[in-house]
Amino acid sequence: MREKFSQDKLDRCISCGYCLPACPTYKLTGNEESSPRGRITLMRAVQNDKLPAIDLLQESSFCLGCRACEPVCPAGVEYGVLLEEMREITWQGKNRPLIVRGLFFIVDSKIGMWALGLFSPMAKRRSAQSDLHLMYGCFERRLFPSVSRAVAKLAPEVSCSSDQGCCGALHAHNGELEKGKEMARKLGEKLPGTILTTAGGCAAHLASVIGSDRVQEFSQWWVKREITLKPISKSDRKIRVGLQDSCHLRHGMGVFAEPREILKQLGDYVEIPSAADCCGAAGSYALLQKKNSRKVVSQKVAEIKELNLDYIATVNPGCTRQLASELRRARVKTKVIHLAELVAISQK
Amino acid sequence: MSAKDLVAKLTALVGSDVVRSDAVSLQAYSRDATPMFEGLPEVIVAPRNTAEVAKIVKFAHDTKTPIIARGAGSNLCAATVPLNGGIVMSMTNMNQILEVSKSEMIAVVQPGVTNLVLDQLVEKEGLRFVPDPGSRNVSTIGGNVATSAGGLRGLKYGTTRNYILGLEAVLGTGEVIRTGGRLVKDVAGYDVTRLLVGSEGTLAVFTEIIVALAPRPEASKYGVAYFEDLAAAAAAVEKIITSGILPATLEFLDNTCLVAVEDFAHLGLDTKAGALLLFGDDGDSISIEQSVSKMAEIAKSSTGCRGVTLAADVAAADALLYARRCSLPALARLSSLSILEDIAVPRSVMAEVVNRIEGIGKKHGLRIGTFGHAGDGNLHPTIVLDKDSPKEVAAAELALAEIFALPLEFGGSITGEHGVGSAKLPYLEAKIGTANMQLQRNIKKVFDPAGILNPGRIGS
Repeated sequence: MREKFSQDKLDRCISCGYCLPACPTYKLTGNEESSPRGRITLMRAVQNDKLPAIDLLQESSFCLGCRACEPVCPAGVEYGVLLEEMREITWQGKNRPLIVRGLFFIVDSKIGMWALGLFSPMAKRRSAQSDLHLMYGCFERRLFPSVSRAVAKLAPEVSCSSDQGCCGALHAHNGELEKGKEMARKLGEKLPGTILTTAGGCAAHLASVIGSDRVQEFSQWWVKREITLKPISKSDRKIRVGLQDSCHLRHGMGVFAEPREILKQLGDYVEIPSAADCCGAAGSYALLQKKNSRKVVSQKVAEIKELNLDYIATVNPGCTRQLASELRRARVKTKVIHLAELVAISQK
Repeated sequence: MSAKDLVAKLTALVGSDVVRSDAVSLQAYSRDATPMFEGLPEVIVAPRNTAEVAKIVKFAHDTKTPIIARGAGSNLCAATVPLNGGIVMSMTNMNQILEVSKSEMIAVVQPGVTNLVLDQLVEKEGLRFVPDPGSRNVSTIGGNVATSAGGLRGLKYGTTRNYILGLEAVLGTGEVIRTGGRLVKDVAGYDVTRLLVGSEGTLAVFTEIIVALAPRPEASKYGVAYFEDLAAAAAAVEKIITSGILPATLEFLDNTCLVAVEDFAHLGLDTKAGALLLFGDDGDSISIEQSVSKMAEIAKSSTGCRGVTLAADVAAADALLYARRCSLPALARLSSLSILEDIAVPRSVMAEVVNRIEGIGKKHGLRIGTFGHAGDGNLHPTIVLDKDSPKEVAAAELALAEIFALPLEFGGSITGEHGVGSAKLPYLEAKIGTANMQLQRNIKKVFDPAGILNPGRIGS
């Protein structure tokens, strides 16, 4: 179990505060302790025995982990890693939220993963010639099986193996950093060659462990195929479509132009003003911090309503779930759909 | 008064929702953007309006409790570190833009509005809030006024002090005063507005600020010139200005900064150059076309110039300016501690001063990255060192003392735009003289008889 932060990572931060405007929880509160800079000050205090580690519990939970602070940081502070360390230090024993323990329990076992895929109409297993493997994800295979089906249909060259576990992003983001890395390495062994994933969060985690050359997120991979897409029509006009970025895909891997490029072919692309801001799903956050998660997304819901879109495309299952449920609640008619499914519709 | 009583009384005064005293909050407000200064406050309070600010300051006055007003905490002179405990008053809840008047070309704002937010809002009216400190995306107008923040446009347009028309402020007694107003011309009474600008929270707490706006220029154009070293760039700057051009921007970076900035921004800068000069102008498109091409020519013909390129478009120019603003934090990539300085010298001696700074670095075996507002003679030599090396830390102390002596030798200033705070206070008297220092102390007493406003700083 980790007790200390990586000192060199703490040292990178010079407290300039350039991250403050990018931070969703700072925007909500205006409180220094709820900003990336503030949290790093707190981590340092723990490192230097000025605060007990347990005092980090609240802020380590309040932070969405969206990493929007990273690309704006001129000093190159790896806040995402520091947050993972912070959760590893604080979310131990009874301090680990029950929901997280439950989620771990499911994905940690073969039976759990089997149960997630049971009766779920995801892409059928098959082995193709190339060494490109489709990743089902853990909860994604249960919640959105149609996404893997769409990819399998779009790309005959992709292999789908049923023997694959969770990538460990869930663990890494929730206080089990080492285990999360171990799981990513294991998945890398199970799926040799290149792993194709439809989840931005998984892509970023996997890439950070097994290397970005072995991981392709769907939009990243699709644009390289250079297939011209037919626009999708709805009552004799092109669809109006927006995008919700995946935080880790955008801030962690720098992938955000690709999904837009695809959507511009599929219809009239409309950039939602807060497209790059976290939707509040943030992995397990929507379950653990329901109220705050809804506060974070509220502005976005208003924007989507205002723009009168037909579709809002997502590149990560958590975002799909969050936006679908929030838009339904607000009675907004815009349909939330994974980018891969939208591409599949156009190819019909 | 015990910390517990302090919290209870403040809570009774303004409500528990804006008072915090848990260990975590206190720790988070124990520092600002200045390295090596830390102090724990006893309570954080975040008032919502002038009346609450007045109540809190009156309370601090009556109980002789230190109180520090804080914006974004992005200052670089330890002006908002609570070294004496007490109250940190965070102004982030007072972040409204109350009015933008296009006809009067002014805006009325609360102190917690960030600089960039204000500028983006007035842009819709074709106007501009001119002062643009490097930290403009995070720093607040209140903080900008408290430090009379400078920026990249100082030479042509001046700094914050040139754009503040009036203030509503709370004195150290809790009384609310109004200074100046909405007018360009107004000489009724002493110019208290100007006195309060740059007073670093020691004389009054700002609760409302009337700022002058300017028309947004029709166009802007930027370019970069590379030089063998910083002194060559400085010499080119002198040539440009003496040729009769007054450009909006003349910024330079030495090779150390250049490499760090390129590592962050990936703009394709020539990292082999000894120095980069960023030049540019704004105004109507014809005149800036002339001034920028003239600057490019002068730079090209200057000794030690390696090449000149003009930014292709506004986006490229914005990227250059943004990269320049990130110089300081980008330097943090190089080592575990960066100590930044902020000296200003007459432009005519700038080339000599940058050479001297380089010499100081060499003599002490330290890496010093220098960047700055070349047109203003405002230099930011930054020592990057290993914080765990006692040898380097000791050498840095000696080097800093020598760097501080430079402005005094050349008729410059110990701080151009960052402020005195706690970091420069020991050198203030040497700069302004004994009689002036005494005057500053007397002024402080008039505004803040109990000595509670940001104690231990200018004039305390």
